[in-house]
Amino acid sequence: MRIPILKLHNYLLISIQTELDDQTAIQFQEDLLKEIHKTEALGVVIDLTSVEVIDSFIAKVLGDVVAMSDLMGAKVVLTGIQPAVAMTLIELGIHLKNVSTALDLEQGLFKLHQELGE
Amino acid sequence: MKRNLRDIAIENSDQIVQEWLKQIGSLKEVNYTADISEELFDSNNREFVGVIFNSIKENGSTKIIEEFSGKIIHLGWPLSYITDGLQVFRSVTINTILSKLEKVDAEYISEVLNSVDSWVEPIIRQLVNEYSVSWEHVVSLQRIALQELSAPLIPVMDNITIMPLVGTIDTERAKFIMENLLEGVMRHNSEVVLIDITGVPVVDTMVAHHLFQATEAVRLLGAKCILVGIRPEIAQTIVNLGIDFSKLPTKSSLKKGFLLALEITNKSIVELDKKLESVEELLGTSKGSEGSYENTNIETT
Amino acid sequence: MNSQCFVTSIHKEWDIVAARQMGRELAKKIGFGTVDQARITTAISELARNIYLYASKGQIKFEVIESLEQKGIKVVAEDSGPGIEDLSQVMEDGFSTSGGLGAGLPGVRRLMDEFDIISEIGKGTIINTIKWVR
Repeated sequence: MRIPILKLHNYLLISIQTELDDQTAIQFQEDLLKEIHKTEALGVVIDLTSVEVIDSFIAKVLGDVVAMSDLMGAKVVLTGIQPAVAMTLIELGIHLKNVSTALDLEQGLFKLHQELGE
Repeated sequence: MKRNLRDIAIENSDQIVQEWLKQIGSLKEVNYTADISEELFDSNNREFVGVIFNSIKENGSTKIIEEFSGKIIHLGWPLSYITDGLQVFRSVTINTILSKLEKVDAEYISEVLNSVDSWVEPIIRQLVNEYSVSWEHVVSLQRIALQELSAPLIPVMDNITIMPLVGTIDTERAKFIMENLLEGVMRHNSEVVLIDITGVPVVDTMVAHHLFQATEAVRLLGAKCILVGIRPEIAQTIVNLGIDFSKLPTKSSLKKGFLLALEITNKSIVELDKKLESVEELLGTSKGSEGSYENTNIETT
Repeated sequence: MNSQCFVTSIHKEWDIVAARQMGRELAKKIGFGTVDQARITTAISELARNIYLYASKGQIKFEVIESLEQKGIKVVAEDSGPGIEDLSQVMEDGFSTSGGLGAGLPGVRRLMDEFDIISEIGKGTIINTIKWVR
């Protein structure tokens, strides 16, 4: 199962709709990096509104994807993290310190816009 | 056999009542009913002893006891009144019955004791039960009320929300605050949340830790937290405890925090000069004949 | 004794997700709120992943439990893997042998209300956790 990646001008938009199993998460990481390379996108928004569970592994994959994309010249914003998920992550001790976040897709694009200094 | 004893008690109820009232009266100074007026005390006593006798006659029917207990709990009478009253009743009744009997041997005495106990026990049990149920109910209502006071979220402007915290924060409350905070951020679409801790008396490691967790969770959601209302003592505590609040902007007052929030959301407060002008104009035209306002061309008399 | 018990075995990577889903369904049925559901599901995920990574085979048991005043869920992670050599090390925050975020067991303990772990080298590990409805 692959997660669809949409292109909008210089941005890539992803909305994760399904329960993430390890395999899908790793595949997603690969697909996104390939897509960034192909489109030379400068910004990526990953929307997690429909994600009900993020455990330490998925959190690591997401954190890694942000760092890897950064290496490839694209800034990433995670949007729509649910309250229940946020609390669970913090209680687990996972703070995702170097990850940009925004409330929803709109604010995410706005934030990227700011960060990219356009 | 027991029936006889019961009849004896009922036959001699007047005497028992008189003696009981006397003894209860003497206890008044000692227990919590000292503040209650004589008339009220007396009328309640009569009702109480009536309830007891009623229960004996009806073999422990609970309806009247329920009504009575509901009434005194509502009026705020202490539980000790009930327990004292029933103890006195036991001793008075036992003594009265024994005095009415011709033969008084050990076996008979024990029967008397057991009988009286069996009348009094269900009453005590039920009254104590009613009391404790009502206490528990009040406590749980208070808990809910406290929780509601616990974590109000006030949306001030489109993207700015304020959460004033008042009172002590324990782990239970902290969890509730965090949940409320996060849900509020989503609901109000807040970009910035100002958490005001002016009203929190003690900030120790636990509280600081909880606050920190809450702000981190808000950050994950995509909003920014500003902590305001940090008193000097709290600032000292936080640094002394070595808690790292460096990533979290803090301001000493709500006003300063709010200005920072405006900055973050790309807004600012602007004085409207136009208003002043129009007031002057207002004065000028209404007092036309006396005014010497340049721009009006009203002739003066 | 009235207890409903469900078991799911952990063998393939996909079993981790299956365990999560089973746990979440049960938690919802018992009456846990959304946040606690997330906590329980995440804890199950961590436990299942540990079995998958270190013991390659094991099972997760779910049980609805009741005490005098509360209802709750009991999650037991059992495996017959190599066992844990140094329990205190494993219960330390940040420790990880698999290069993960190291959230592991201390994290699970924080998410759940009760937690205990028994492990024997060469025999395996049993982790019992309980969460009560608030």
